[in-house]
Amino acid sequence: MRDRQLRHWRALVRDRAKAEWRELSSEVVDELACHLADLHLGALEHGANGADADRIANDALRSASFLVLSRRPRARRSPVGYVHDIRIACRQLLATPIVTLVAVVSLALGIGANTAMFSIVNSLLLRTLPVAHPEQLVIVQSAGQATSWTNPIWEEIRAQSDRFAGAMAWSATRFDLASGGEAHFVPGLWASGGFFDVLGTPIVLGRGLTRDDDRRGGGRDGPVAMISHGLWQRQFGGGADTIGRRITLNRVAYTIVGVTSPGFFGPEVGGTFDVIVPFGTEPLVAGRASQLDARSSWWLNIMLRLKPDQTPAAAEAALNVMRPAIREATMPAGVGARFAAQYLADTEPFTLAPAATGRSPLRIRYQRPLLTILVVVGLVLIVACANIANLQLARATARRHEIGLRVALGASRWQIARLVLIESALLALIGAAAGQLFARWGSALIVSQISTDAAPVFLDLSLDWRVLAFTTGITVVTVLLFGTVPALHATRADPTGALAEHGRSGSGPRGRVTGALVITQVALSLVLVVAAGLFARTFTRLAHLPLGFQTDGVLIVSASAPRNQFEASQLPALQERILAAVRAVPGAMHAALSSKTPAGTGNWTDRAEVPDMAPMSEPDRRVAMNSLSADWFTTYGTPILGGRDFDERDTAAGRRVAIVNEAFVRRFTHGANPIGRTVSIGASYLAAPPVEFEIVGLVGDAVYRSPRDPIPPTVYIPNAQRDGPMNTAYIGVRTTGDPMRLARSIEAAIAAVDRNVVLTFRSLEDQVGANLVQERLVATLAGFFGALALLLAGLGLYGVTSYAVTRRQAEIGIRMALGAAPGGVVRLVLARVAVLVGIGVLVGAGISLWASTFVATLLYGLEPRDPATLAGCAALLATVGALAGWLPAYRASRIDPAEVLRNA
Amino acid sequence: MEVGGAIREAKKGTAELVVLAFLEDQSLHGYELTQLIDERSGGALTFNFASLYATLYKLEERKWIQGRWVEKAGQRRRRYYTITAEGRRVLETQRHEWRQFFALIRDLAGVKYA
Repeated sequence: MRDRQLRHWRALVRDRAKAEWRELSSEVVDELACHLADLHLGALEHGANGADADRIANDALRSASFLVLSRRPRARRSPVGYVHDIRIACRQLLATPIVTLVAVVSLALGIGANTAMFSIVNSLLLRTLPVAHPEQLVIVQSAGQATSWTNPIWEEIRAQSDRFAGAMAWSATRFDLASGGEAHFVPGLWASGGFFDVLGTPIVLGRGLTRDDDRRGGGRDGPVAMISHGLWQRQFGGGADTIGRRITLNRVAYTIVGVTSPGFFGPEVGGTFDVIVPFGTEPLVAGRASQLDARSSWWLNIMLRLKPDQTPAAAEAALNVMRPAIREATMPAGVGARFAAQYLADTEPFTLAPAATGRSPLRIRYQRPLLTILVVVGLVLIVACANIANLQLARATARRHEIGLRVALGASRWQIARLVLIESALLALIGAAAGQLFARWGSALIVSQISTDAAPVFLDLSLDWRVLAFTTGITVVTVLLFGTVPALHATRADPTGALAEHGRSGSGPRGRVTGALVITQVALSLVLVVAAGLFARTFTRLAHLPLGFQTDGVLIVSASAPRNQFEASQLPALQERILAAVRAVPGAMHAALSSKTPAGTGNWTDRAEVPDMAPMSEPDRRVAMNSLSADWFTTYGTPILGGRDFDERDTAAGRRVAIVNEAFVRRFTHGANPIGRTVSIGASYLAAPPVEFEIVGLVGDAVYRSPRDPIPPTVYIPNAQRDGPMNTAYIGVRTTGDPMRLARSIEAAIAAVDRNVVLTFRSLEDQVGANLVQERLVATLAGFFGALALLLAGLGLYGVTSYAVTRRQAEIGIRMALGAAPGGVVRLVLARVAVLVGIGVLVGAGISLWASTFVATLLYGLEPRDPATLAGCAALLATVGALAGWLPAYRASRIDPAEVLRNA
Repeated sequence: MEVGGAIREAKKGTAELVVLAFLEDQSLHGYELTQLIDERSGGALTFNFASLYATLYKLEERKWIQGRWVEKAGQRRRRYYTITAEGRRVLETQRHEWRQFFALIRDLAGVKYA
């Protein structure tokens, strides 16, 4: 009986608590139910009837507020209190959906951009190679930090690899999987036998490369190859019968012996591979041009694995003991006596650099741009936080009545702060979750932007503990950044004041805090806009540099003759026939064949000498070289300023002739007419004497490799007079309209000449654009985030001014009633905006001046403290500030004083 | 201050003192406490039952009183509150302060307490 009564009162207490959105601990419920049951019983004992006793107990229950009881010490230990706070926070956020949406979107962009940039930085700079004990790996460098070596040097080191736990070498390349016609290139690696044993990487199927596979011409199993997990899935459907199947690489048949694990992308970070083949089979692909015995071809990288107890210093010493013998055995061929003596006496020791994070040319190129963008997105997040802090402050102020009531009912300062902080944390969590989606998309987009056809970039962007820790950390920091101020502000709520005011406006500390937040936003936005301005101007300058040739309407066809299928002596005639066939294609206005293309990859330099020239250092004598057919300058649009173009007279047997550019004239003949003079070309260290050419033409300066580099003195010679044939020739074709249209008919025309020639097609515009990938990326990202910061700062300023206008409505109304003109009201409101923006711009300009020197190396043709950029950006920010302030100011000037005074 | 406001304010400040004073000599559960206060004050001082427990929990949190569940023969389980040594010290101090305060009011305003 007694128990049933108690259950009845327990249920009523719980219902009452629920109606108040309170959670009570079961102990509290028990105690209150007990009390009500006693009250009920007491009433009956004092002579009340059942209905009256019920009413007395029910009245007691109804009149009670459970707010204070819900924070019973014992109840607080359970998560129930937090669940309750989260529920309230959700209701608060849903009550103002637009504000919540703005906050979540800014946070998603801010946190997402930071995560995206960090995951790239992580995979490029921080992540270790997915191999066993990566910390034991070291890469062999020269003292000058060059990491390329010749195969003879590698073979010497390999012979004594027992001094270490292991040694391996590799060289990145690409292989053509097509059996004819247009090439189908995939990234590949030449690798030493035992490559996978040294790295300690698992193999999914089949076996790794053995020392036997690495024998010249192939081992017992003939030429063998390993393929990546990706190629296995794409090309072979992941079938177990792939082992033993054939794959054609550069027209040579290889047997597949193994499949690598899915997470392994090779020893180079930023690159990947689909095929790995042993060095020993290189002569099969390269024919006579094999580099295995070439002592001047520096094309492979060497990595050592240290023994568990071996220090890098001990390994370095062991390697340097071998150095004299290595030098002796690897003397480059055909060098003069002086160079030979220098080579042997060379005291430049080997050094070993830690290689746990692999080797990465991409890392060297992108380290600074990426870290710069990481700072940029960090600043954007701070601007976003300042904005949200202001929104939360406004929300907290609007809730002063509610918060005051909570304080009056006994809520502690910490509970109030907790409520506001939970709201902030909830916002940050939703923002972080949305940010993850944005980050995955954004990082993949950025990687695709730095990847070009000629240099595809692969980065492992999968989540790891670092990215997770970063995202968690940044979310917590975000909550602290934008949640602390509103939480502290809320705890200062004065219960009596708030209750008496009934939510009417307040002022004081909040005004100062919002002012400081707006100044922070304006200052940081200016820094970001200045950075964006500097990078955009750098990119525009580079993109609009006079190149010395016309990029539009030119198609570049690379035509490679597989070296195992053509004799070197056949190549010049084959290339002549190809050029003739291309010239006959309808739509080809001009066509020319050369060994290099403007702003292309690859470099060919030599040493030049002109009779009677002023004494000059060796580096100054280096000239850029190219060999061409007739009509090359017309095809690319480089003007011939004097003399003549090459023509049919310039054969192998004819007089040796050359064309030079203006930079050559400035350096070698001091501006005097070069035509008719001779230029001797040939490296001083070679035993053979230099070759003399008569200069027959002068052409305008044209970019040789990168638009960033100064235009080098350049010497052009006829194809027929070069030393040795070209394996890959580039045919430039000028047409009207989109040059890629011609690709199909050119492919058909060349196939008619010889089906075995391997072709690639690219427009000159693409090729030039690929040089500016880094600048374009930095300018685009900085521009995007600069604009975002500007937008956030504008919104922040607008919000703060609107709030101030609402707060001062009564004051403005009185002023207008007393005769203030609308213009005066606008001035009154704008005065505060002007002060905030002015201080922000000054602070921002100071930070920009200080910080800009850090990005100096990323700029081109600009001073880091470029006054025009700074002034322009400050003006832009002032304009945005004025606009953001003017809208509420205009609204204030439209206030009807009578209406305001009535409501005051 | 509005009429009655002084007493309401005073009640808020004195609730803790009253509870401590009632628990000085005996352990009581919440309902007994309300009955005793009602009886001794002749109905002038009543507690809303939720605020009574709020006060009890606050005092317990400050370790001035201690509550524990006791089941007496033939009765339902109830939570009894006992004053702690710390609570006694606080009660003495508060009594002393109130005495001084009333002495002051008596001198200044001519109010005498019974």
